[in-house]
Amino acid sequence: MKRLWIALGLLALLLLLTICHTHSLQHFTNHLTGQLEEAETLVQQEQWEQARQLTQSALDTWNRQDIRLHVLLRHADTDQIHAGFQEVLALLNSREYGEYAAANARLISQLHLLSEAEQLNLKNIL
Amino acid sequence: MVIAMVRTILLYLIIIAGIRLMGKRQIGELEPSELVLALLIADLAAVPMQDFGIPLLTGLLPILTLLCLTMALSVLTMKSIKFRAILCGRPSIIVKDGVPLKREMQKNRFTLDELMEELRMNGITDLATVHYAILETNGQLSVLPYAVHQPPSAHTLKMNPQEPGLPAVLINDGRIMTRALHLRGLDEAWLYQQLHQRNIREARDVFLLTVDERNQIYLVEQEGRQ
Repeated sequence: MKRLWIALGLLALLLLLTICHTHSLQHFTNHLTGQLEEAETLVQQEQWEQARQLTQSALDTWNRQDIRLHVLLRHADTDQIHAGFQEVLALLNSREYGEYAAANARLISQLHLLSEAEQLNLKNIL
Repeated sequence: MVIAMVRTILLYLIIIAGIRLMGKRQIGELEPSELVLALLIADLAAVPMQDFGIPLLTGLLPILTLLCLTMALSVLTMKSIKFRAILCGRPSIIVKDGVPLKREMQKNRFTLDELMEELRMNGITDLATVHYAILETNGQLSVLPYAVHQPPSAHTLKMNPQEPGLPAVLINDGRIMTRALHLRGLDEAWLYQQLHQRNIREARDVFLLTVDERNQIYLVEQEGRQ
């Protein structure tokens, strides 16, 4: 019976850890998309430098979690988001609003999808 | 990650149910849960091994989940007879009093050709000599012939043969198995004495030498030795 409890305990622990990861990822991506949306608002107010600093700060936050994200998520997804950040920063430097807005929206959408794919719901399970 | 875990649990249970529905013939010495584990683990390990874009955890988490589930199911089958019957099934009587039971055979997807093949493998050619043939939960067929068709044993012949016991290998391809020798309470002096009695000087001239519990020796010399 001890082996049964060990197995069930391990299963429960794994389930708990994966649920924690899902919640933490959702919180993390929400924080980043919040910063990116705020940066776009600043751009609309012609505050390009502040918007660049905010986006750079979001990228730094992303980079600080780089190892964890690489261990837990598909590398293609994390690499795509990293490239998206670089593109948005480059467009902020060139001050091209139309292209910046499109790239920023794409990046926000990728972050949403990253978190969405990890949510425990019937759509994802099936 | 949580999706991978939930999907693993669902697919594991679905495949076990599928294997159970396929009948006992598909199992072959393993319990359904063990068979499914063996089928799935290799594939799960191969994915992160080949694709470097997938984290190692993507393979490890489902494997760990499967191992935990198998361990839990295996304990439950040990503890509960009812659960064991659900997971592993029950033995089915396929032949009774020399007559194949069609309904039971159909239930287990067991054809007449397979039955005859299994009987031949058990040394039986005449179905009428079979008292019972039972399809075990691991897919093996146990054949019980009528008592009159069973080979006679020493007991039925009222003989009293001596037990030779388990033979131990003392020389394996020219090498002396010192541990086995000492476990039998023998030593190298005794072994060389036995060799000299058979005109053999060295242990390396012997391919195989075994001794049973009555110290009876079976010896095969190396090939090419006079």
